[in-house]
Amino acid sequence: MSTYERRVAGKRLKRIDGVGKVTGKHVYASDFALPGMLFGKILRSSEAHARIVRLDLTRALALPGVRTILTARDVPQILFGTAIKDRPVFASDVVRFRGEAIAAVAATSLEIAEAAVRAIEIAYEPLPAVFDMEDALKPGAPLVHGGWSDYQALPVFDREGNISGRSSIAAGDLEAGFAACHRVYEHRFTTQHVHPGYTEPRTAIASWDGNGDVSVWCNTQLPFDMKNMLAEVLDLPANKVRVVVPGIGGGFGGKLRVGVEHFAAWLARKSKRPVKVMTTSEEELTDAYPRQPTVITLRTGVSRDGLLIAREGKVLLDCGAYANSGPATAALALQMLAGPYRTPHFSYESVAVYTNKGSTGSFRAPAGPMGNFAVESQIDLIADDLGIDPLEFRLRNVYREGDTGPAGDTVTSVSIEESLRRAADAIGWKDRKPGPGRGKGLACSWWLTTGGSSGVYVKINPDGTVTVVSGAVELGSGAMTGAAQILAEELGVDLSDINATDVDTHLSPYDYGAQGSRTAFSVGNACIAAAKDLRRQIGELVGPLWNVAPESVLLEGKGVVSGNNRLSLAEVASLSQRTGGGLISHGTFIQPMPTFDPTRVKNHPSPAWTSHSFHTHAVDLSVDPVTGEVSINRYVVAQDVGFAINPTYIEGQIEGGVAQGIGQALSEEIVYDGGRVLNANLTDYKMPTMMDVPRVECILIEKPSVNGPYGAKGVGEPPCIQPPAAIANAIAVAAGVRMQALPITAEKIALARLKECD
Amino acid sequence: MTRHALDLTINGENHQLMVEPHWSLLHVLRRELGMTGTKENCLEAECGVCTVLLDGKAVNSCILLAEQARGRSIVTIEGLGDPEHLHPLQAAFIEHGAVQCGYCIPGMILTAKSFLDERPGRMPSEAEVREALSGTLCRCTGYQKIVDAVIAAARQMNSWPEAARRAS
Repeated sequence: MSTYERRVAGKRLKRIDGVGKVTGKHVYASDFALPGMLFGKILRSSEAHARIVRLDLTRALALPGVRTILTARDVPQILFGTAIKDRPVFASDVVRFRGEAIAAVAATSLEIAEAAVRAIEIAYEPLPAVFDMEDALKPGAPLVHGGWSDYQALPVFDREGNISGRSSIAAGDLEAGFAACHRVYEHRFTTQHVHPGYTEPRTAIASWDGNGDVSVWCNTQLPFDMKNMLAEVLDLPANKVRVVVPGIGGGFGGKLRVGVEHFAAWLARKSKRPVKVMTTSEEELTDAYPRQPTVITLRTGVSRDGLLIAREGKVLLDCGAYANSGPATAALALQMLAGPYRTPHFSYESVAVYTNKGSTGSFRAPAGPMGNFAVESQIDLIADDLGIDPLEFRLRNVYREGDTGPAGDTVTSVSIEESLRRAADAIGWKDRKPGPGRGKGLACSWWLTTGGSSGVYVKINPDGTVTVVSGAVELGSGAMTGAAQILAEELGVDLSDINATDVDTHLSPYDYGAQGSRTAFSVGNACIAAAKDLRRQIGELVGPLWNVAPESVLLEGKGVVSGNNRLSLAEVASLSQRTGGGLISHGTFIQPMPTFDPTRVKNHPSPAWTSHSFHTHAVDLSVDPVTGEVSINRYVVAQDVGFAINPTYIEGQIEGGVAQGIGQALSEEIVYDGGRVLNANLTDYKMPTMMDVPRVECILIEKPSVNGPYGAKGVGEPPCIQPPAAIANAIAVAAGVRMQALPITAEKIALARLKECD
Repeated sequence: MTRHALDLTINGENHQLMVEPHWSLLHVLRRELGMTGTKENCLEAECGVCTVLLDGKAVNSCILLAEQARGRSIVTIEGLGDPEHLHPLQAAFIEHGAVQCGYCIPGMILTAKSFLDERPGRMPSEAEVREALSGTLCRCTGYQKIVDAVIAAARQMNSWPEAARRAS
């Protein structure tokens, strides 16, 4: 790394979109409106698995103000989906979960649209349903999709009946490994449905123009994917679809896929008016993209001195009625079962399963908290049984630099030991049980930086300011402020000189989207590339004027210099406009794919990881001896971020991720009774409030990655991975009960303690 | 449905409206007046993003009928400060990194203002801030930087002379 002092990157600077957000001027998709706009509302199934035997719109259509009602009959019978094209826009003859869309109304007001939805007459004939993922695998279980074998799907997934995808990673000789073990442990863990909990409901406003093109303003994390998905669902060439993201009130992976955009677009097309569709809390908790529940079984063998020798693991993952990203998430869980530990012999298998419940998706660090809860809980169980300190046990087994990853890939920039030691030191690990009812726990993990491709246009304006046009969505993380800091650093200007535009797929260069901890990483790199090209352009422009070599021209202090020659950046941009087309460049980046050993992997869409990050969480908590209520005394995170582009917003990612993880650990669950959600409102779906989240002590480790801008690694997803495991481990110490099912509510702890006393 | 006349005072300005009796204040602000700084989410007073000040007190505008605001003073985020002259709370939220997606922030800032205005001249403890603001959900920040921002703003507002405080 260069030793020069950075002026902008690495500093705690204020975010570039802050003023609009604190003054109410920042426009979010839900704030957006068009003249003459209608309001859309969805009729949803009240049955979990049933045949629709009657659907009568007569009374609904007669209501004054109703402009359009659409059902499956009014749209092409197109199936869409991420891994498997299994989902219709509207259920036609069969509904597969309670909450599935059957019809959509557009009316002059929301109240009228709601009244029309209630006035639609519908009758069902119930079909046998399956709600439990293990039941769904039994012979003779009702099939969620009778026609599964006719679906188009990515060939990588191995499918059959209710199994939407099966993947595996294995190496070594499992039987020989287990035979050589001192002890073998088997445990089962379960995790629950949790909602991403973004505060802005999913919203779309669609409008068609005279050329038959549709514009959709929406709060998607993936505008370019959304454009393609909509084109598919609308049966249009992709160039007829334009997606604009005005502003987005949180996403966390819950706004990756088509949610309401297709309804708005279809209603707008049929009603010939702009139409807005926005979800309610009830819709969010019954038909969104929550984290999938899992059942994870682990069989782990160790040597007498506490080395991991062999492990077998199986992940069952409940996709709900439509697969979406479930098969890929289940596959990703396999890396979570493997790392960050050396294990010579292993075999991991994932099975993604259909059930008659709502669909699911890729909530922040998909598969992360589930796999980590199982692995890190079991590590503590094993260490305690062997009489080895859990920290020491981990230190003996974690990856070292250059180790081989599960798919035969090489693990680099490894900092897991440092993160373990620093988190343990900070929490005071030597005193693991400071008093009655109180205990400490820790959990470590690894994660990847996906690094999908980014393009940016960077323009230097004649006033010396800089505009960056990117296809990346600022989700709130501050990633675009981070990218702008890198750009300012490279161009020798201040952060306040940089403007970033909203995303418009007709105008913005491609970006892979706000997913996979990669926005600041990839956009930052694209900015470095754009700045390099701008330096070349500027050198070629002023070099001949000054009779100097173009390569000698530098950008610094908002100016262009070579020896004693100096012009302001504004003057050079102006000169370029008078003599040419102005200063503009297109910077691009994609992270190279790593090599791996294909013989270790079966049916896995992303077998090898890139720009690994490593992290440890440590918690000190107390458990009420009577009620079982958990109160967190201290919470420490030591996370390797490669290079801290803006420490303030990295802390923000860590603090926010821990809060979500605490929710998954202790209180959040979409509770199903059969196919019915019992708590489809924010009163009963319990997200942590300001009273529930402690101050999080953040330790930023900077072990540079090879590919990141200035060595940065992805930051956004990891912080929500470890809280369930770290908290469960601390509860085991504090309360003497080992909780293997999330969420660990006070009630469950109290009941477990009563059972212990029996 | 029949509409009736309703005069509302919002951010010191009078608005003459024709409203349906069941409309919430949130509906009137966002749909009728286009004042979208006040946000919309759960519509059952659980999330707090729709918070406005009614005679200085924080209320959830999603469950308040517009009619109930007749003759009273309404302050929304648009009435607090503008980009050139930010209110100390707005400035502190930016300064302390308390803003991420920002969707909960107008409600959070107005709740904080109501809380601080009730106790002029007194510095709140961290626990008091957490209790006072716990009705507003934020899913991005984990809350710590919001707490820090409110305490910093309180410190600054407490240093103001009495007259300036009343005018803020």
